[in-house]
Amino acid sequence: MNTMIIKQLILKDWYFLRVPIIGYLAAGALSLVLICLGTDAGFFAGLVVLITVLIAVGIHLAMSTVVGERKEQTLPFVMSLPISYMEYTTAKILANLLIFLVPWSAILLAALALFTIGNAGGVIPFTVLLVTELFASYTLLLAVAVVSESQSWSIGAMVFGNLFLQAYFYWITHHPSIVGTMKGHVAIWTSGGITVLITEIAIILLLIGLTFFFQARKTDFI
Amino acid sequence: MNGLAVQFAGVRKEYPHFTLDNVNLELPTGSIMGFIGANGAGKSTTLRILMGLVHQDRGAVQVLGFDMPAQQAVAKRDVGFVSEDMRLYGAATLAWHMAFIRSIYPSWDQAYAESLLKRFDLKAEQKLKKVSHGQRVKAALLLVLARRPRLLVLDEPTTGLDPVARHEVLHALMEALADERRTILFSSQNTLDVEQISDQITFIDRGRIIDSADKETFLERWRRLRLDVPPAVALPALPGIVETTSSGRLAVVTMNGYEPAVAAAYHDAGVTVQSVDSMTLEEIFVVNVQNRRERSVA
Repeated sequence: MNTMIIKQLILKDWYFLRVPIIGYLAAGALSLVLICLGTDAGFFAGLVVLITVLIAVGIHLAMSTVVGERKEQTLPFVMSLPISYMEYTTAKILANLLIFLVPWSAILLAALALFTIGNAGGVIPFTVLLVTELFASYTLLLAVAVVSESQSWSIGAMVFGNLFLQAYFYWITHHPSIVGTMKGHVAIWTSGGITVLITEIAIILLLIGLTFFFQARKTDFI
Repeated sequence: MNGLAVQFAGVRKEYPHFTLDNVNLELPTGSIMGFIGANGAGKSTTLRILMGLVHQDRGAVQVLGFDMPAQQAVAKRDVGFVSEDMRLYGAATLAWHMAFIRSIYPSWDQAYAESLLKRFDLKAEQKLKKVSHGQRVKAALLLVLARRPRLLVLDEPTTGLDPVARHEVLHALMEALADERRTILFSSQNTLDVEQISDQITFIDRGRIIDSADKETFLERWRRLRLDVPPAVALPALPGIVETTSSGRLAVVTMNGYEPAVAAAYHDAGVTVQSVDSMTLEEIFVVNVQNRRERSVA
């Protein structure tokens, strides 16, 4: 693996996305302010903004760094560099995940800190599970975008991810072992919550593995 | 290495509606090959296979001594590729692109890059989404030339350029040729461009290489003869005749492999040779392609 050029490609994607990411961070901060107002309306409004921000970051990243590379015809330029297609895939996956992790982890850490300080630790497992699901949903979009490089397939993955999120949101908010401890002052991880978290992480890892699997079988890159 | 910068042996690539078949191509180090073909002939597919961007179904490809596509990452360190459909990042300046390429290639020559900036009349701080197609092509060429690759692969770089930009691009390429170790493979539909800078010519049509030789041989081999054929005389069928058109006593014969003995053979048959004319590369290409297509239909 040519780590030097992979690093340069990651820095290149970061360079083009650094300004929008700051915007997403600001929107994420707003969502946390709303959640911390202490009212039910503020909580749900903040939750909606938080979910929207993380979905928007994911779409922005996948569409501009992966699908856009083909659509804007910059892929031949990148692939003319001294890299193999697997190195290109590695650079794309790493760049996307690392850049997504910036607002994702900032929002998650800020939420955890605020809930802990605000003596509302019971909501932490729910929040972690929700943002991890958003991470998995984003990984699905990224995997489809990288493998297909197609706007249509990527939109399909977005629609599927969004529909799944609605179903997941309904299911998680009706899951006794998760909502049952939400009103408490401390975070309680039930076995049900831990199982859901492990499943989400496994799905993320599986999607990344499948992306490399399919990419290794491609024969035409432009 | 065997003195060849590029070597294709029995390469095949099949698509649902197009097949690149049995491509055999050798490009000696230090030579400039013009790769001529009509739209959809297979030029871009061939060059993409050369770059490792498309994997051949069959056959072997070596670039600078490396097997493609397996060793493409190493091979591409010394290969510069510019294609007509390649775009740079519109949201970034040329200066950013220069810094990006410099960070990847230790061979980057900043002084040469700056001289090319002036010659191409490019502004380093201008965002590339605001520049013309000609400037974009020149910017892409600058990024490739300034890292001084041993092999330049140019897929229709002059397509869509105005005459001035075309002249500048060809001039820069000719200057790049001053380095005798540099090899160039240059595809184009424009035979005039190819004729100006190439010393080797290859024609491709419908996925097959139909002819390949050095330029002088090409131009020497092909002739168009104007003949006066008396009514009672039959035009002899000489070897190498590719096309014959007649109008009354006048016949025009296009020949591949002309030799002075041909004129004598016509004279002996009672035919008067009025003129023996050289042909342009474009005329040779068109006749060659038409002839092959007619033969394949028959």
